[in-house]
Amino acid sequence: MSQPAGERSYQQTAAASTMHYLCAECGAKVGINKGEPIRCKECGHRILYKQRTRRMVQFEAR
Amino acid sequence: MPSKTGATVKPRTTFDTLKREHLFKNPPKDKTAFPALTEAVRPHVDSFNAVTEEGGFLDLARKDIGIKSVFDGALPTKGNKISLRVDKIFVGKPLISSRDKQTLKREIFPAEARERHTTYRGKLTVRVGYKVNNAEWSWIDRECGNLPIMLRSNRCHLEGMSPYDLIQHKEESEELGGYFVVNGIEKIIRLLIVQRRNHPMAIIRPSFTKRGKSYSNFGVQIRCVRPDQTSQTNVLHYLNDGNVTFRFSWRKNEYLVPAVMILKALCETNDREIFDGLLTMADRENTFLTDRVELLLRTYKAYNLYSRTETLQYLGEKFRIVMRVAADMTDAEVGVEFLRRIVLVNLEDSKDKFRMMLFMIRKLYALVEGSCAPDNPDAVQHQEILLGGFLYGQIIKERVEEYLENVASEIRRQVTRSGTVDFNNKDHRVKVFSKVNENIGTALEYFLSTGNLASPSGLDLQQVSGFTVVAEKINFYRFLSHFRMVHRGSFFAQLKTTTVRRLLPESWGFLCPVHTPDGSPCGLLNHFAHKCRITTNSLDVSGVRPALIALGVVSPNQSPRPANATFSIQLDGCIVGWTSPKEAKVIADTLRFWKVEGSHDIPVDLEIGYVPESRGGQYPGIFLFSQQSRMLRPVKYLPLEKEDIIGPFEQPYMNIAVTEAEITPGESSHVEFDPTNILSIVANMTPFSDFNQSPRNMYQCQMSKQTMGTPGTAIRYRTDNKSYRLQTGQTPVVRSPLYNEYGLDNFPNGMNAVVAVISYTGYDMDDAMIINKSAIERGFGHGTVYKTEKIGWETGKGRGGPNAEIEFGFHNRAHLHEVVSGITSSEKAWTQEEKNKELRKLGLRGEWLDTVDEDGLPIVGRLVKKGDAVSVYHEKPSDPTAPVEHKAFLYKGDEDAYVEEVRLLPNDSADKGMQMFTIKYRIVRSPNIGDKFSSRHGQKGVLSQKWPSTDMPFTESGMQPDIIINPHAFPSRMTIGMFVESLAGKSGSLHGIAQDCTPFKFSEENTAADYFGHQLKEAGYNYHGNEPMYSGITGEELQADIYIGVVYYQRLRHMVNDKFQVRTTGKISELTHQPIKGRKKGGGIRVGEMERDSLLAHGTAFLLQDRLFNCSDYCQTPICRGCGCFLSTMSTVSKMGETTRIRCRRCAKPASGFEDESIVWEDGHGSRFVGGADTTTVAVPYVLKFLDVELAAMGIAMKFNVSP
Repeated sequence: MSQPAGERSYQQTAAASTMHYLCAECGAKVGINKGEPIRCKECGHRILYKQRTRRMVQFEAR
Repeated sequence: MPSKTGATVKPRTTFDTLKREHLFKNPPKDKTAFPALTEAVRPHVDSFNAVTEEGGFLDLARKDIGIKSVFDGALPTKGNKISLRVDKIFVGKPLISSRDKQTLKREIFPAEARERHTTYRGKLTVRVGYKVNNAEWSWIDRECGNLPIMLRSNRCHLEGMSPYDLIQHKEESEELGGYFVVNGIEKIIRLLIVQRRNHPMAIIRPSFTKRGKSYSNFGVQIRCVRPDQTSQTNVLHYLNDGNVTFRFSWRKNEYLVPAVMILKALCETNDREIFDGLLTMADRENTFLTDRVELLLRTYKAYNLYSRTETLQYLGEKFRIVMRVAADMTDAEVGVEFLRRIVLVNLEDSKDKFRMMLFMIRKLYALVEGSCAPDNPDAVQHQEILLGGFLYGQIIKERVEEYLENVASEIRRQVTRSGTVDFNNKDHRVKVFSKVNENIGTALEYFLSTGNLASPSGLDLQQVSGFTVVAEKINFYRFLSHFRMVHRGSFFAQLKTTTVRRLLPESWGFLCPVHTPDGSPCGLLNHFAHKCRITTNSLDVSGVRPALIALGVVSPNQSPRPANATFSIQLDGCIVGWTSPKEAKVIADTLRFWKVEGSHDIPVDLEIGYVPESRGGQYPGIFLFSQQSRMLRPVKYLPLEKEDIIGPFEQPYMNIAVTEAEITPGESSHVEFDPTNILSIVANMTPFSDFNQSPRNMYQCQMSKQTMGTPGTAIRYRTDNKSYRLQTGQTPVVRSPLYNEYGLDNFPNGMNAVVAVISYTGYDMDDAMIINKSAIERGFGHGTVYKTEKIGWETGKGRGGPNAEIEFGFHNRAHLHEVVSGITSSEKAWTQEEKNKELRKLGLRGEWLDTVDEDGLPIVGRLVKKGDAVSVYHEKPSDPTAPVEHKAFLYKGDEDAYVEEVRLLPNDSADKGMQMFTIKYRIVRSPNIGDKFSSRHGQKGVLSQKWPSTDMPFTESGMQPDIIINPHAFPSRMTIGMFVESLAGKSGSLHGIAQDCTPFKFSEENTAADYFGHQLKEAGYNYHGNEPMYSGITGEELQADIYIGVVYYQRLRHMVNDKFQVRTTGKISELTHQPIKGRKKGGGIRVGEMERDSLLAHGTAFLLQDRLFNCSDYCQTPICRGCGCFLSTMSTVSKMGETTRIRCRRCAKPASGFEDESIVWEDGHGSRFVGGADTTTVAVPYVLKFLDVELAAMGIAMKFNVSP
């Protein structure tokens, strides 16, 4: 569960399906399940940022 | 702008790289490093503070609103009297609603409002006081919604924060405030020019004659301002017979009252006193005046009102309904209330009002007589600034008053409907309040977001819309300019005359002569000179009257006045004394000396307008101004060598030398601190602007505001719809000290470029420019566009509302995992189709998974192309096992973009899941052919070729230019400043110094060319800035030496990628089958009449046909040769073994049944015909057919002769 979001790929099991976001206020990692209200579990702030993906992002270099 | 301008250390031009880096790494924890910036925005913030502070304008407004009373009709007489008043208006700081129990941090900061696209607002509470009959006052607090709060004001959490703290709260280190955040958009209230307060202005206006039969075009107008900054304009009209009427408008209606009636109502007076007050001893010899005053007094006799009480009763009776006063007030009381609320509201004492009225009548007669000139309402001398905060306060006042009146009328309504209302009963009370609309906050939010003023009184303003603008942060210059901008009023924009737009000498030092847009807002939209500030508080003038007495001024109470005391001395529209013309100058000069000296308790911000006696000039007197909204600027006072603060009223009568050299002993009293003080902040950034032709400097002011620069450092926390950023901004080598003072290094706006002025390839014709391809590859002018898109559903609106439960993400994620891992881990190599087919079973498309994460949101960092999914959602099924169809939001932009940020926004109802998120896209925009660039001298051009470095010309030292521009760009435009900048930039780069480019520093004796030429010579370069160059292609030396140097270049935000429009085929209009218009819709560019004419003139008929016909609404259609008609042709119903044929129904005859079967044809109804076979197919524009149908509908047939 403590694994950061995006690090998983589809290979992983459904158990690790909670996505983790960053609180805009305190920077804490917040696990939000589908349909859950958006709220930081630490400070109660109500904006979350999605983390940058840890998957490979490859671009055509020009 | 710091008040001790003379004393402060003059900022230098140097690069200050270390200081800048230090400031970036260690933002100051005490105060800003750039006080000049804060000072530039101060009028906005201070005006808001003045409204909300303790004892501020809201408190004063509350007092002015007064008491509203209603009778409940319980008794046979009027019944119980219920009185209402406002006890207090509280404006809270933005906080999280008290219903939310979970959040630890209760404050809402502006960054949150921006990110969530909400409004930065604090709670507004109105404490309504009430009493029944003569009981004690009680009160009840009513919450009146949330009021938008100005940033960095005293109701904002950012007030007084240091740069360090600001950064902690996701703001710029130099966050200036002064604007509002409404629905995530930054809005500012425009500064408006209005008439100078409390000073009667003589006006000749032809429209005055429209008031009535005998009305002349002469008038005296005064805009009186109450202490709470609301204003009431009073006008005195001259009637052709010599009489004077008093006009005012109240709740958008105009009323006229005889001026003498006002005089008689103001105090117990008599005709003699009025006569004495109007005419001095000398005036009595003037029969023009005596005749008129006599007539004025005589005609009033018709009213038969003699005492003050009679007059008040008369006025009260007439204005009882208009004033909406309590039913139990007597007529005389209403009369007093009328005088308090309408007549010369800036004065409290009615004796003062009386004297001012007399002065105005006298000025009016002087105007008619010709002994004084009309005052120019377009001159800054008679203008002041309506500050945003003050306007905001006025609207709040009006809304609160309206609210109180609504409560009163609700009580009245309940009384008439149900008999009684017991205000002592809590239930009744609550019932009354709950029926009244209390949401004042929303009204203000509406005002800010639309700029429309919905007001019953009109607030004494000439416009109802256009009060707010978006503070666009395209770059910092643009953003800053919004706060220094002042508009004349949208009423004047429609005026056909150009008089209001004219640049008048009075504006010297207050409004920038350069910084105004060209085109429709020219001259109406001005910017303040950078040293100009606006007063936001009223001065302590308690020392002025004693000082005047010490100077031997005649008291205003003295009657009759001494014969020579003809000069009135007024303090904010109150006559404080009289003096003789001779002494007036001494008094004015002494007052000025004292105020600069700081003695005798005379504040330095006091404006001492001494208007000397003249033949037919401005009406003379000494006019002192101490109140808010005045423009002020610093100049040096010569007798004391100290800073004096002067205003636009006094300036025309002062002798201010521009430079030290210009000082004439005995004449000049002041000298400018710096000639550049007349320019605005942006205009000051034009290097060597004194070398340029003036329109070029105007263009530069425009273009610097459209530059793709640096909007700020907090880009990470901003969610503007569109935002531009220059990746490789530099500090200019050539800059003025003000660049450092305003800290503009934090917001670089361009790049230093090596520029050669040469016609090299032909690709630099007509304002095109060539850029070295390698320079672009090294990052020259590289920029980024950020676009933010909101995705989701507004709760409660439209689809996805409360009934339909929609969720982002995939329905059965566990199952999706299984499928995906099944695909990836299987031995078999799946083809794309097979994969997609497998995923199709889950109700989604396989390609969505490339750009969307498992939470249904885009993958941060992904490149998205047009048509890629950025989000997947589905409806929540009632049965969790049922199959679900997923849908996706697609990326609609034309350009490839990177997903930069994804922000998850909360649902309005706290327990529900996410319904809205935002994506910030990053679009890379490296310079492209067709992009617009400009130097800082109004010399814009488009990039026409990225020329390979190998083919660029080079100098003897092997240097290549980054940019090549054509020499033809100079002769007609005369932007010599650019040449000088080129020289200065070159020598600055060679010596490693920053060059000062402040205008007005060089002269004929000491020329710029010489100064920088010597520097170049010192560095071993040609004195003139020319260098021999060699062709990059042949290697031969060019015949002429080429002018080459370093110029700061801006990249403008107009880029081809946002502009190009091309089509061959595409969408067409349904009605006409012609191509549609509009770039967004993929439409075409119209080949209009003039384009058609030129094609005709060229004889290019084939091209014309192609454009107007083949590429437009080309259409093949059958036509009957016989009757020449499109409409009668039809295709036959095909019979067995035959194709359909085209036949003319009109030329055909019904088949008799005896014809040969081969010539008989059948229509859709089964009727059989013969004949009508003479049809053919022609190519015509589709609109022609359309026209035929339209005409046929009107009963007109078109006949075409078809040949051959």
